[in-house]
Amino acid sequence: MKENILIIGGGAAGMEAATQLKKLGLNPIIVEKSERLGGHIAQWDRLFPAFHPAKDVVEQMLNNVKDVDARLNTEVTDIQRDNNGFHAVLSNKETIDAKAVILATGFDLFKAERKQEYGYGIYNNVITSLELEKFFKEGKDPRINNPKKIGFVHCVGARDVKVGNTYCSKVCCTTALKQACEMKEVFPDAEVYTFYMDLRMFGPGYEDLYLKTQKDFDVKCIRGRVCEVSEDMDGRLVIKAEDTLFGKPLRMTLDLLVLMCSMEKAKSIDKIQQKLGIANNSDGFMQNKDMYLGMNDSKQDGVFVAGTCTAPKSLPDTIGEARSVAVEVFNYINNK
Amino acid sequence: MDFGFCLSPSSHVKMDSIDLTTFNRLKETNPDVNTCIACGSCTSTCTAGNFTEMSFRRLLLMLQRGKEDEAKKMIQRCMLCGKCTLVCPRGINIRKILLDITR
Amino acid sequence: MNQYIFHPFVLPFVLGMAFVLTYCLVGLFRIIGQLPKDDRKKFWRSLVTPKTAWANIRDLFGDCLFHVKIWKRNPILGYMHSAIAFGWFMIIVIGHVMLFTLKPLQDVDVHGFARTFTNFYYPIFYKHFAEETPVFAFLMDFFLIVIITGIFIAVVKKIYSGVVGVKRVTKFGFADNMIRFALWTIFPFRLIAEKTNIMAFWWLYSIDLMIFMCMLPFTRYMHIPTEALFILLKHAGLKPREPRKGYALAQIYSCPSCGLCIDACPMSVNDKNSGNTSAYFMKKLRNADDAEAKRIAETCMQCGKCVAVCPVSIESCDIKMSQREATPYIINSDHSYLENVESSSSVNSTVLYFAGCMTQLTPKIMRSMKKIMEAAGENYEFLDKDGGICCGRPMMLSGKKSEAQAMIDKNTELIKKSGAKKLVLSCPICYKVFKEEYKLEGIEIQHHTQYINELIKNGKLKVSKGDVNYVYHDPCELGRAFGVYDEPREVLENVGNLRKAKSEKELSICCGGSLGSFNLTQQERDEITANSVDDLMYNHPDEIVTACPLCLKTFSKKSPVQVKDISEIVSEKI
Repeated sequence: MKENILIIGGGAAGMEAATQLKKLGLNPIIVEKSERLGGHIAQWDRLFPAFHPAKDVVEQMLNNVKDVDARLNTEVTDIQRDNNGFHAVLSNKETIDAKAVILATGFDLFKAERKQEYGYGIYNNVITSLELEKFFKEGKDPRINNPKKIGFVHCVGARDVKVGNTYCSKVCCTTALKQACEMKEVFPDAEVYTFYMDLRMFGPGYEDLYLKTQKDFDVKCIRGRVCEVSEDMDGRLVIKAEDTLFGKPLRMTLDLLVLMCSMEKAKSIDKIQQKLGIANNSDGFMQNKDMYLGMNDSKQDGVFVAGTCTAPKSLPDTIGEARSVAVEVFNYINNK
Repeated sequence: MDFGFCLSPSSHVKMDSIDLTTFNRLKETNPDVNTCIACGSCTSTCTAGNFTEMSFRRLLLMLQRGKEDEAKKMIQRCMLCGKCTLVCPRGINIRKILLDITR
Repeated sequence: MNQYIFHPFVLPFVLGMAFVLTYCLVGLFRIIGQLPKDDRKKFWRSLVTPKTAWANIRDLFGDCLFHVKIWKRNPILGYMHSAIAFGWFMIIVIGHVMLFTLKPLQDVDVHGFARTFTNFYYPIFYKHFAEETPVFAFLMDFFLIVIITGIFIAVVKKIYSGVVGVKRVTKFGFADNMIRFALWTIFPFRLIAEKTNIMAFWWLYSIDLMIFMCMLPFTRYMHIPTEALFILLKHAGLKPREPRKGYALAQIYSCPSCGLCIDACPMSVNDKNSGNTSAYFMKKLRNADDAEAKRIAETCMQCGKCVAVCPVSIESCDIKMSQREATPYIINSDHSYLENVESSSSVNSTVLYFAGCMTQLTPKIMRSMKKIMEAAGENYEFLDKDGGICCGRPMMLSGKKSEAQAMIDKNTELIKKSGAKKLVLSCPICYKVFKEEYKLEGIEIQHHTQYINELIKNGKLKVSKGDVNYVYHDPCELGRAFGVYDEPREVLENVGNLRKAKSEKELSICCGGSLGSFNLTQQERDEITANSVDDLMYNHPDEIVTACPLCLKTFSKKSPVQVKDISEIVSEKI
């Protein structure tokens, strides 16, 4: 009989792990709390660094898991260890017995309201990176009304002890530049500014994207953190930041401000995480065994972690981890 | 060939000979002076900076580049309102550092 | 010499008493001498002004003898204090009454200086020298037993402080422990001496008194004589000007080191910081440990809770401020650039709104205030919509009173120029300095909680009541500093349900964001915030409401529920 592997979370990590586990002859069961598989990436329009449609990747992943047992609109409400592994109770009262558990619960986007000085939820034309991506995907957002001047704010909810997140969220820099270029595509006449502290172009082709941003799209990168956003008489946004390279504070009027929100560990899993005895690390993400050879292992036997539940990650990183967790689980089952 | 003189004095910061006494003293009581990431939040939010050149980010650099007099002059503009301390993403205790420089 | 007149065992007491009286007298002259001239004048005048004189009498009895404030806090603790203080006072009084009314000692044939000498110790050792009448004997025994019951409680409290509702007490050194032991044994020894007339116990009684008297000036028990002077000086309306002189000195010696402020201090959430509380600050000052006193003064958040709970009402926050003023920082502030600042707001509005520096970082408050003033049909103007000038309070908190003057002057000029009749502030930090230091004759200064409450009360602002459960956090500089407790609560009851926090009003716990502290690290502040949030969440409210932009920002980081400013809540309900 095929061994059951419980995968909590049906995003990129969960889907990819399930695909690989199936190929390895195990029986993955995905429990997904929303009404569809695909996670955050399914809301995305195009991917950095090469503007590849996210849809292509997501559809392929969905196709790969079409034979996988997936419970949608379902959450794990209780989980216990027994002689055979784990006994999980789902929100639909169903129970699942599994030999191993993979936590692929991903992230929550930082709630931009928490950084009140940026005015999200106060001023109409302050939006989040996710909302902008939805605009690219769906082609409409009442707040985006032929803007002439657009600003991107990096590190919203990241590298900021004042919101309790001291880590770098890794993907926002590249995403900001990608979205800045896309805005220039949609609104060629607009001036686009990004306000960064460090541009962390860590992956293959990312630096090329940076170059393209400057050369082909004329996006202006200003090194300085935006500190305050207010509104003028006409309802346009006035931002304050220091141009740290020029060494002077500046004010600028904008029609649209995009906040690059950071990733935080998904809160909805807290209870189950506690039941399984998985602690958080100092960044508030799940603690794995070690960051080199044990990145998919938790400190609890039979519980594995993959994707952005342990740290902010890009899509390729996540897929890589999903594949490696499948091998880890396969070895775990076979060595038992 | 070194003729022992040049046409105009170099405007470079002479890192080999600058006096870091104040900064080093500051560092002892406020280790967080080293943690600035130069994001400029303090400068852009600064109430006095609205009217003057006041910039805590630059002030820290001045102390590290041997421009102590300039730094002390800059502090005179400060209103000590604490906005900088409130926004600093690294949680640097700026108000305390400003006072300690003048001690 | 016959036994009615003298016995050597009285000598220890006489020596001790003479020493302590001399010490107190010198101290009294020193303190009064150190007062600035105008303060001294004020002091003399207050002694003869009927109103303050009456307050003096009331508090001397109420606080020094009956300890009314401690009774209110905890009846057991109250009984303990008044049993010892009032009981002791009574046996001294009765001793004197007996001396001057009863025959045996009145008839003793001693005159002149010798008479003064005997009268000095007769009341204390009456029973040894003469018989009491039954009524006096009963009264003496009664009060002696009362004192001993008080001491019994003190012993129990020492072993287990929880019985009187105190978690942490001040840690004492050798001298304090020794004098306490002397105090505990004085009265049992006296009782035994009186009942058995064994000479050894008369000696022990007298030596105990000597130990107590001689050590008194060097221990916390000095608060017993000093408190009386402190009460008089307080009623004269003085403010401490120097950290270890004059009025401040009287306060320092009036601190009984009871440690009530230790549990009260928000910083004590971290045990390491409980040494930074007022009780220890006073101790450092008393021991002339200037470096430590300075450090504690600059660590303090100036939230004022220690003052609120202090049974002696010691103004430790003010003394800390005077300590800050005494610390030389050479900022050489140059705010001359302010001279050219022009107001961007138009003239001729009735209400002038000053958001303040911190509120610039919480635009929701400004927006809500705008909405509220518009809905109420007010003729208003923003003073600092493009960023204003600091109110000066943060500079004053650093002990630089004069350096804040340029800001105060410029703001005063801008406000007066606007012609407004009312100034509304969103930030309690500003509110405090505007109320205390600004001279804005003819202009009413209100915090927005008061303003909104007034708008609702006079019907200008119509709000609807929802069913959200709120808890209100009293900002230190609005609540404890000015007693603005009711207005915000009335406002919230108009728009929703008000739940109680565990500690409210004068006992509310500082959010941890205070500008008062210079030394606290971010992590220490976070601990204070978390503790304050827990306290607010006691009755499981849906939202935390505050009335200070700094509290709002500070709480937002740690709160499990949404944190909002009161103006935001009201603007949602228009």
